[in-house]
Amino acid sequence: MLSFVPVLNWSLRPAASVVNTFTKMTLSSEPFHQWCLPDGTVWVSFFRSVAGYALTFPNIAHFHISKDGSSVTCDNAFDVATSTIEHLYLNQVVPLALGLQGKLIFHASAVETLAGAIAFMGVSGRGKSTLAASFAKSGNRFLTDDGLLLEKTINGYNVLPSHPSIRLWNDSREALVHKTATLAPPLQFTPKARILSDFALQFCDESRPLRRVYFLGDGSSPEISIKRMKASEALMALLSHSFLLDIEAHDVLAWHFDELTRLVELPIFFHLDYPRNYAELPQLRETILAHAANRKVDLNESL
Amino acid sequence: MNLCEKLSIPSQVMVREVGDETVILDLASGTYYGLNTVGARIWKLVLERQSLIEVCDAMMDEYETTREEIERDVCTLMQALLDRKLVSVTA
Repeated sequence: MLSFVPVLNWSLRPAASVVNTFTKMTLSSEPFHQWCLPDGTVWVSFFRSVAGYALTFPNIAHFHISKDGSSVTCDNAFDVATSTIEHLYLNQVVPLALGLQGKLIFHASAVETLAGAIAFMGVSGRGKSTLAASFAKSGNRFLTDDGLLLEKTINGYNVLPSHPSIRLWNDSREALVHKTATLAPPLQFTPKARILSDFALQFCDESRPLRRVYFLGDGSSPEISIKRMKASEALMALLSHSFLLDIEAHDVLAWHFDELTRLVELPIFFHLDYPRNYAELPQLRETILAHAANRKVDLNESL
Repeated sequence: MNLCEKLSIPSQVMVREVGDETVILDLASGTYYGLNTVGARIWKLVLERQSLIEVCDAMMDEYETTREEIERDVCTLMQALLDRKLVSVTA
């Protein structure tokens, strides 16, 4: 009769952008939080400092973010390539800094459609970037590959564009991107390729009204499935995909919780699952576009 | 769990009703929980009533089940909330 559903601990999501200045930092205390890769390796450790927060990426770099998130400095202590530092800044540090500034920012990709922006949220490996690249290749410009930044408007929320590049594993890259695509310099910590936007993979550099948010399933569904999420489900999913640096900052956490509670009042949140098969991407895109435009969709869904 | 006990919500716990369900956020740990419709109703009654006995009385009026089952479910939920420090016993 009763269902009491504990949800996984709030997870810190490292986010992203460009280094302003380089200064030397000293880290002495224990981290208050760490974000680990699936194999248990520490990806980033979070420290508090007098001036704000310090993030250390083991054997790569240290970043410092001011308390209000308005400035970022980097100590390139391990002398890694500037392109790697810039990538970490854009994709890992900036979203966390924006979160400190009171922005709503999530681990998600987004593309432009005639009906408005549609976003794809999900844990790593669920296909956010692949979907964004697939849509962009077919004419729906991408707004972000990760770091979905929302801005409240009179009628709802706008999606703000982020960096004009998409990171893809080799299989997705070979399936979706033309061979002459421009690649950013390789990163030292991942074999993922970063493809810069071009004529074939167009970037939308203007904000667009948020139309739909699709939370990506694990691919176990034998066919395309779109189901409306309850507001409570959407709220908890948004919490787990938020870029929040300091979960012990109660005032920020409380503010964020209230903002998300207002956001999920919109009937725009859906669970999307589909077989992971590149050959079926055209049909998937058409189904999503039809769904976002409220056109009749031939699948088992609840609008 | 004693049905005569009165419970309250600690200051570090935030609760929001969304639709017919409830989401609870524990600011101290950053952990969040969902309560389904029935759990949300019990939670609301706990806030309004003097004791768990009164919560069970109200539930008897609203649900077609036995008193024994309601008391068991209310106690199970409240104990789970207590264990996670999402409610506390009022002295």
